[in-house]
Amino acid sequence: MPYHEFECSKCIPERKKHAVIKGPGEDLTSALPLGYLNTIPGTISERGCAYCGAKHVIGTPMKDVIHLSHGPIGCTYDTWQTKRYISDNDNFQIKYTFATDMKEKHVVFGAEKLLKQNMLEAFKAFPHIKRMTIYQTCASALIGDDLNAIAQEVMDELPDVDIFVCNSPGFAGPSQSGGHHKINIAWINQKVGTVEPKAITSDYVINYVGEYNIQGDQEVMSDFFKRMGVQILSTFTGNGSYDDLRAMHRAHLNVLECARSAEYICNELRVRYGIPRLDIDGFGFEPLGNSLRKIALFFGIEERAQAIIDEETARWKPELDWYKVRLTGKKVCLWPGGSKLWHWAHVIHAEMGLDVVSVYTKFGHQGDMEKGISRCEEGALAIDDPNELEGLEAMETLKPDIILTGKRPGEVAKKIRVPYLNAHGYHNGPWKGWEGWVRFARDIYNAIYSPIHELSRLDISKDEIPGDKGFVTQRMLSDANLPEEVRNSATLREYTGKFDCLEALRHKTYPTFERKAAAAVAG
Amino acid sequence: MHCEIKDKERAGIINPIFTCQPCGAQFASIGIKDSIGIVHGGQGCVMFVRLLISQHLKESFELASSSVHEDGAVFGACGRVEQAVDVLLMRYPHVKVVPIISTCLTEVIGDDIEGVVRKLNEGLLPEKYPGREVHLIPIHTPSFVGSMISGYDIAVREFVKYFARKTEPSGKLNVITGWVNPGDVTALKHLLKMMDIDATVLFEIEAFDSPLMPEGNHVSHGDTTIEDLRGTANALGTIALNRYEGGKAAEYLANEFDIPTLIGPTPIGIRNTDTFLKNLKTLTGKPIPEKLVRERGIAIDALTDLTHMFFADKRVAIYGNPDMVIGLAQFCLDLEMKPKLLLFGDDNQGYKTDPRLLELAENVDYDMEIVTNADFWELENRIKEGLELDLILGHSKGRFISIDHNIPMVRVGFPTYDRAGLYRHPIVGYAGAIWLAEQMANTLFADMEHKKVREWSLNVW
Repeated sequence: MPYHEFECSKCIPERKKHAVIKGPGEDLTSALPLGYLNTIPGTISERGCAYCGAKHVIGTPMKDVIHLSHGPIGCTYDTWQTKRYISDNDNFQIKYTFATDMKEKHVVFGAEKLLKQNMLEAFKAFPHIKRMTIYQTCASALIGDDLNAIAQEVMDELPDVDIFVCNSPGFAGPSQSGGHHKINIAWINQKVGTVEPKAITSDYVINYVGEYNIQGDQEVMSDFFKRMGVQILSTFTGNGSYDDLRAMHRAHLNVLECARSAEYICNELRVRYGIPRLDIDGFGFEPLGNSLRKIALFFGIEERAQAIIDEETARWKPELDWYKVRLTGKKVCLWPGGSKLWHWAHVIHAEMGLDVVSVYTKFGHQGDMEKGISRCEEGALAIDDPNELEGLEAMETLKPDIILTGKRPGEVAKKIRVPYLNAHGYHNGPWKGWEGWVRFARDIYNAIYSPIHELSRLDISKDEIPGDKGFVTQRMLSDANLPEEVRNSATLREYTGKFDCLEALRHKTYPTFERKAAAAVAG
Repeated sequence: MHCEIKDKERAGIINPIFTCQPCGAQFASIGIKDSIGIVHGGQGCVMFVRLLISQHLKESFELASSSVHEDGAVFGACGRVEQAVDVLLMRYPHVKVVPIISTCLTEVIGDDIEGVVRKLNEGLLPEKYPGREVHLIPIHTPSFVGSMISGYDIAVREFVKYFARKTEPSGKLNVITGWVNPGDVTALKHLLKMMDIDATVLFEIEAFDSPLMPEGNHVSHGDTTIEDLRGTANALGTIALNRYEGGKAAEYLANEFDIPTLIGPTPIGIRNTDTFLKNLKTLTGKPIPEKLVRERGIAIDALTDLTHMFFADKRVAIYGNPDMVIGLAQFCLDLEMKPKLLLFGDDNQGYKTDPRLLELAENVDYDMEIVTNADFWELENRIKEGLELDLILGHSKGRFISIDHNIPMVRVGFPTYDRAGLYRHPIVGYAGAIWLAEQMANTLFADMEHKKVREWSLNVW
């Protein structure tokens, strides 16, 4: 597994050990790219800052909280309305953002008074919201404002409010990952164990951790848990409620989805409260089925999980396979932020037939690369902390059929005629769950076989203009070389779900399962 | 009946209208050809601004970070700039202009970016890059001063100040556009061409709306050259369309090189476009041609179809970039509408003495409020407390107010990411007047149909 040296990065030798190509028969002992090191300035890296890792990734998806950033206005503005972490309370956390709007005089004389005034104003503007998180920024960290002290003062003055302090300025770490860590630890230190759960309604109680409800992922996954009779005490943090998260210590199991951003709190919950950690995957039929089985096995309710797996597989497998036969052999670059490279690397090959030709991570650590590289195909190029030119060079040499990455790098890909899907916010998600995985496959199919790409390659000044067709459909492109029996298969079918697959979930009722204790009393 | 210009009373911000200064400097710097700016601060200050710009224009632009981490914040991070410049120059051989844009972080710790630039100019550049044309330009944009508007204003001035050199009169006119869209530049260039005026447009960003070509990679960037910037000192005059975005550069050129200068009005609407043409005529001596009389006539004709029947007395709230807000308010008044609330998203003290705002305050014949240092809560809370509006004009960050309160909204300004292709259309000039009026009309029509309010009236008009 030799290191891969990019032509464009030969002049910066430090980059040499940040990319590898997975050779035949090689395992991770031969090489692993460096990870989570300081960024080389001026490379046009894709990385963000520790403030956004704390506030924008983990903090803000909490739905019933005033999210107030203490600093100049930009941090707040820039991290507002740029992600799709929805909620079932009318998206308060997306619609409203708060900033102390620190000015020069505050930098000089201190901004603690300003902070306090802001906190009181915010509670006054939204009297039904009684919870708040205040986020430090570069400026407020450097002038040394004591956020904890002000939070305590306000809590003393307003006894019905509770305030969480997140000290994670932008400079605190090589990337957003530093902020993930800081807010995980701050939450368990400050808030976990400070209230008891509103009600324990099941014998099987979990915290669902590292799940941010992108386009409704959390709601899709919660549906499975509820059908199994498992109570979700809290979700850290997508569609999650502040007070539920204060009661995390009462769960029996921590079910962890994004280990990159939220393993810290799981590890602490294990150490401090003895709650085991179980890593799961919500993406892909097999990993999701195995995940539900593992949770069920832990609680001894395997048959409940199996019933869901059987039902969902029967419903959606014919649709997934419709896409698989049409996507097999297509090359994909998995270029997300951190955890999705390993969440998707193997299963996208096994279940959709795509060949992963490259994985990259903006803020992942070596552990993420280990998992990602071990799950991707031979010859795949793995890049840590990629930059603009390396991304372009990789796309030009690998010639992927599709790239899964962020919105802005997606614009770069567009210009070299590589279709992109938004790996962070999704195109038409949710992408978790059985149906979600089919929606993902459909998005990939639509992107790869869009007639627009064929048109984009035609040079009307030099090429022969076909002129023989008035239009082309995706099926005309995807099915051209498929055998007759596959093309007209009676068992396979295209996606049949709705444009919005969440609405029904939000009004669904669930069976009640008899509790062990209750059963014993009754008996 | 009265109109008051006042500051927001609350200390804090609930939903900001503007972002901070470094964003403005970054938006200005991508207008220059062969330029990649280095933002000296944390990585988010660049990453999110690049995202914001790409949300608005659906293109990616190159901007670098000095990636200041904890050690730099504690011990000083000038070394990060040195390294960033070197890495950038090595890997981007075409780059000639490198603005070094400061942030709150590096202003608070007091990094001496002028000192770094001097050091690089004496050391790295002659030693490692002999013969290569490289311009390192410090731009101070602490985030805790002003807003993205002043950041843009400062950056334009710094670029002009750095490059402008008096040589021979060029006979050209400087046109400083302010923070506009590619469609606006197209419209302005059209007017200049009609007037037969040879102009230097700062910044030449028509190419921000860049093509997807059959061969090769196309990186979006502006087309203003170093020569263009140098030549600004030799122009026969300067017109800055906006007082708050580009006004500083215009004043600099006027003071330093005695260039006849006119700042404003922003040519939004018929009346302001007329004045713009008059100003062009004044500075160049060129007549306004018959063809523009006809173009104006087409616009007037289009507006006449709409005003009395649909626009009259419609109550409007407007927010966004200050010159644009003022221009839109003036245009709305000419269209018989009633701008009820104008929001300016920063604390620039100049607003209170802005003659255009004073003129509004003196002459509007209904209650109107003008709020400075404003946020979106100033709008939403007024709606909650009973302010009745028929239309909102502003950028996409205010979209949920329109959605939740069922008030139709025309997206205008920066950013407009929740509507397709708006950057392609002008809001300035006669073409812009037509586009704006028809957008407003069609938005009102769709709302009438959606709410089933007098929707039948559109059967015949």
